[in-house]
Amino acid sequence: MTDYANTDVLVTTDWVKQHMDDASIKLVEVDVDTKAYDAGHIPGSVGFNWETELQDQVSRDILSKEDFERLIGGAGIAPGDTVVLYGDHNNWFAAYAFWLFKLYGHEDVRMMNGGRQKWLDEDDKPLTVDPTPLTPKAYEAKDADLSLRARVMDVLKIVEAGDHNLVDVRSTDEFTGKVIAPPGMSETAQRGGHIPGAASVPWASAVQSDGTFKSADDLRAIYFDGAGVDAGKPTVAYCRIGERSSHTWFVLKYLLGLENVRNYDGSWTEYGSMVGVPIERGTAHARKAEPATA
Amino acid sequence: MDRDTRVYDDIFQLLPSEENPTPLVRINALAPAAGFDLFAKLEWMNPFGSVKDRAASFLIRSLEAQGKLSGERGMVEPTSGNTGLSLAVMASAKGYPMRAVVPDKVPLTKKALLKMAGAELDVINDNLCPAPGLGEGSIAIAKTHAKAQPDRYAMPNQYENTENTRAHEETTGPEIWRQTGGKITHFFASLGTAGTIVGTGRYLKRKNPDIKLIVVVPDEGHDVPGLRTPAELATTNLFEEDLVDEIVEVEGELAFRTALELIRKEGLLAGPSSGLIFEGARRVLSRDPDAVRGGVGVALFCDDAFKYVDSFIKHVPELAEDTAP
Repeated sequence: MTDYANTDVLVTTDWVKQHMDDASIKLVEVDVDTKAYDAGHIPGSVGFNWETELQDQVSRDILSKEDFERLIGGAGIAPGDTVVLYGDHNNWFAAYAFWLFKLYGHEDVRMMNGGRQKWLDEDDKPLTVDPTPLTPKAYEAKDADLSLRARVMDVLKIVEAGDHNLVDVRSTDEFTGKVIAPPGMSETAQRGGHIPGAASVPWASAVQSDGTFKSADDLRAIYFDGAGVDAGKPTVAYCRIGERSSHTWFVLKYLLGLENVRNYDGSWTEYGSMVGVPIERGTAHARKAEPATA
Repeated sequence: MDRDTRVYDDIFQLLPSEENPTPLVRINALAPAAGFDLFAKLEWMNPFGSVKDRAASFLIRSLEAQGKLSGERGMVEPTSGNTGLSLAVMASAKGYPMRAVVPDKVPLTKKALLKMAGAELDVINDNLCPAPGLGEGSIAIAKTHAKAQPDRYAMPNQYENTENTRAHEETTGPEIWRQTGGKITHFFASLGTAGTIVGTGRYLKRKNPDIKLIVVVPDEGHDVPGLRTPAELATTNLFEEDLVDEIVEVEGELAFRTALELIRKEGLLAGPSSGLIFEGARRVLSRDPDAVRGGVGVALFCDDAFKYVDSFIKHVPELAEDTAP
């Protein structure tokens, strides 16, 4: 059995428990359910709201460098700190925040394997409702590393050239165009289907029933052998609004060690609303989702 | 308390037991097989309106016995339906705070019912691309409250707490055995937490291993409140598949149509889950009527139609026709 390509980006719940009092370890919770942090969080952690704090509030975009610096510095995090992210839904938005931290050049970012649910399920792991006292710091971010981000123009070139792996991490029904978005979602698109040439590998294929990532061997079998991702080519992952694809981006780049992986954060809500772009429907390239549980 | 004159000291004395069972009513016009007696067990005759009064009362009693409830320390439970309502009414009457964690998709009337019963609501968005194997969001949030503020909340946890099955082992099972004079041959129920089928089933199988336990489940994508398909059962730890003789899948849509048949032909104001269970029983019993001749069946009718009028209208659109001058 082989190990993940990068072992230092993933920490266990036990590791977090041992280190949660270290001053240089900053725990950050980011949840899909923005009320979850207030209901209870790991002592000493800060909570970011993905809707109001992790994206630009005027234009549809990621946080500007200045806003990122303000947010991270305000949370008492310094550039040399170790940031450990965790969240609900198997770390969806924790992965999005991970991507953002890396985009702005934070050196030491890690993810708590299994996320919030695993911590919750383990009896020896405490939660609190006490607010975490914060001492704001001056945080200077690096310029955005755009090699981690794909924009729609990049994607259109890729569709034409066919020289990338495109990985669609949405559900099979979204991929085939049966539905445009999961029921009840406010963020949607004008058309259903997928980007031509994309392989369907729903994000949940990467995790086990306890929410932790599958082994490197299993992941390799799923992405390389099963879905035909060519490790020699650059890769772009996308979903609906860019959070589930951050999860797969993390798997491909850090756990499987692919050199060039970008997250297309505009994802289907952007691509599926563009006028005149090619769309594919149906099951071509579809690969059956492997459920997270048996 | 005087059961003969039906005068009680408080509402809790109406909770069901072997001596105070919910009624069994024979199915007549819709009887599925000649010579087979099929009875509906009317769980809506419970004091708070549904089968869930059984589990809820046992859950509360058990927390009380452990000294976990007081005027300051109440309960938190993920629930959108009958268990929450039952817990909330009982908690209010006993002076315990109750916080119900409710998925946003739950209809407004159900949320309002919980508030009418005195519960504090915590509405969460449960629906964001639910993934296989993930705990339902409302369960995780309720657990979070209980873990982060143990001095304020105890969590009954109907999905894992064996008091849920014990309630049926000690009440539903013995009631049915006594009411049928030990002649029961078939028991029909559905699956939510699996407490009913496992608890009742265990008792009945102990009394007579030949009794057939039949679980009726809706098909995938169904819209029958409170019920789960076997695939959705990851949520509960209580199901014991080995105990069950047969699992019958019925199209969820039929829950509503069949409930209307029960209302109009039997005078039974059945809710959708009762409709589904009856439909399953009808299929099983009419498969080979000769084989079941002489038998006695009990179908558990979880609750009545009143809470589900909106669902009925959605699934049977003609109910809304000709309702204006």
